[in-house]
Amino acid sequence: MQVRPFLRMLASIAALGAASAFAQQPIVLQWQTANLTESQYEPIWKKTIAEFEAANPGIRVEPVLVARKDHWTKFVAASQAKKAPCIVSVDLTTAAYNGYLMPLDKYWNAEPASWRHAWSDDMLKASRWKGQLYGLPIWGGTYAEIYNRDLLTKAGLDPANPPKTIDEYMRWSKKLSGADHWATAVLGGRTDTTTRVLLTWIWANGGEAFNADMTEATFAKDPKSLAAIRMYLGMAREGLAAPAPTTTNYLEQTNLYAQGKIATMRNAYWAIAKVVGDNPAMKGKSVVGPIPANVPNAPTLATVTASSISSSCANPDAAWKFIKFDAEKKWAIERARVANWMPLRNDLADDPAIKADPLLEQFVRIGQNARSYPLPHPLWADIAANDIVDAVQKALLAPEKTEAIFRDLDTRLTKKLRDI
Amino acid sequence: MARAAARSHFRRRRHGYLFVAPVLLFLAAVIVVPLGWAFWTSLHRIRGIRVSFVGLANYGQMLADDAFWHSLGVSLAFTGASVALHLGLGLALALLLNELRFARTALRIAFLTPWMVAPAVGATIWLWLLEPQFGVVNWLLQAAHVVSSPVAWLGEPATALASVIVVDVWRGVPFVMLLMLAGLQTIPAEQYEAAAMDGAGAWQRFRFVTWPNLRYLTVVATTLDIINTIRHYDIIGVMTGGGPAGGTEVLPVLLYNLAFRSNRFGEASATGVLLLVLVLAFAVVYVKLAKLDRAGGG
Repeated sequence: MQVRPFLRMLASIAALGAASAFAQQPIVLQWQTANLTESQYEPIWKKTIAEFEAANPGIRVEPVLVARKDHWTKFVAASQAKKAPCIVSVDLTTAAYNGYLMPLDKYWNAEPASWRHAWSDDMLKASRWKGQLYGLPIWGGTYAEIYNRDLLTKAGLDPANPPKTIDEYMRWSKKLSGADHWATAVLGGRTDTTTRVLLTWIWANGGEAFNADMTEATFAKDPKSLAAIRMYLGMAREGLAAPAPTTTNYLEQTNLYAQGKIATMRNAYWAIAKVVGDNPAMKGKSVVGPIPANVPNAPTLATVTASSISSSCANPDAAWKFIKFDAEKKWAIERARVANWMPLRNDLADDPAIKADPLLEQFVRIGQNARSYPLPHPLWADIAANDIVDAVQKALLAPEKTEAIFRDLDTRLTKKLRDI
Repeated sequence: MARAAARSHFRRRRHGYLFVAPVLLFLAAVIVVPLGWAFWTSLHRIRGIRVSFVGLANYGQMLADDAFWHSLGVSLAFTGASVALHLGLGLALALLLNELRFARTALRIAFLTPWMVAPAVGATIWLWLLEPQFGVVNWLLQAAHVVSSPVAWLGEPATALASVIVVDVWRGVPFVMLLMLAGLQTIPAEQYEAAAMDGAGAWQRFRFVTWPNLRYLTVVATTLDIINTIRHYDIIGVMTGGGPAGGTEVLPVLLYNLAFRSNRFGEASATGVLLLVLVLAFAVVYVKLAKLDRAGGG
């Protein structure tokens, strides 16, 4: 037997085997959002992945489960190492500015116009940075005031007519507070939820936290803004809000509400799902009202969560396929129905499944006058979770220095906003 | 001539160098390269994936920043209080265990348990124990009428710092206790017998026999504990993240917050290098003590 042809044949077989084994390897897409760890969302994302994988046998989606407080940190660390998950939902402007995301215009423009029309220009504006599209808006959350119907009734207040002005809200708060229960929770914990709620108070009083082009901070400079900050943070000192505000965040706020310790909470529709998850007895016990405001047409805050593709993603085509799948009407309705996340497609407002839920419909109505969040600045993630929270904590600990603390914040932020 | 001598020296020891080489390579990979990389990073302004060389500007910026000096102060307060309590309680427990004639092993294991728990897990448990509304600590204190209303332990800078010190003491005492116990067991029984024959009481035995024998070990334990505590991150990272209002922001937490919350990797690396210098200063003290010990023979 000749050795050389035999060896050649052996090598060919080995190469073929290796090639076919390689060809059979599915594309693995990692998917990271802060919400995958939230119990109310779990059944939906599991179903989404299962159906997507069944429809796309060559692609596997691997969820990356990260606690909300570590979400951004892990994304940044992975991005720096150029190993970020392919599909992510992060603070879009900050991530795009830092080069962590891939522009999606190529994929977006290749889609039929009929599909693209499901997203309004306003909605897409929140997903653009320097004219390029970096994410597809998937769901949102409009902030409103959520009340515990039973506690209102017990305090002799009418759940059908929630307060419209801040003064009225303060009067209600006094009636809703006692020795071991409080009207609400002031948020001062170290996440940007603290900043979200603070902004709603500032806007409700006709104030502004930043100038129009976000080159100057006006927390203390704008008297209406400063007055709103004083009113809101003052609730903690006056015994109208739960103790330990500097450690209170979304989790603690919803826990307190679920246990009947606080009667109202300022949050989005998803908080109701979280409360019912914590305490099923709370099902059907919440009523929703607009954010009490001292000026007409005060806007509320609406978060926009978009799905993006990280710049280090090796399979962006497959990632876009998944993003499109996840943005389908079916999943938008499921998310609204089960996880209480508001759909951002404009072709769902009249969907019977949405209309059948009166609370969701109310949130949709309140959200008609909302500013999108995160605010469009590349340093927003840092500013919102650190500088502003730090000032809130300091003011909660030394209320008499509130003005000085927020003046200092204005100075620091203005310098920071211009240093990009 | 000198070259020939060096060549002959290397030839005689080449097997030794060969045996040591893998370890040296490993140490270079896990210590020297990351340290060098951190220093290199500290010389750059990093904004996401955009990088520009700025020389020592990050060091100047950090040294001029109030936040750095505040964190250094918090670090020193945290380390000073923790180390003092580790040593005091560690020594007391070691003396107790050394005197015990029964259940010594069981108690030793019991006291060691906090040290065996992963710091992040321990911190999470304490986070819930100290929770203002539903935590066990407040419940116990209220039941015992020590406090009249729930205390927000992590909600005020002073109580938050005290709380993380308590948790660090809970975690760190077993290590010192173990060192001290080992030291106590090396003291010859004859010294105590001689002291007893001279009529020495318990305090005098401690002062004139135990303490002189433990003095060197105490200095070593203190130095090691300072090095270990000043670079400590996990308990504070988990429990407060440096808050409220920077009240517990020790240098490692500041470093983490700068890097991963504020995305300022250059400034964070500069802080890391400055922290390293601080730790190295204590390490030099430790090495000098070790040399003194070798020279003194005991």
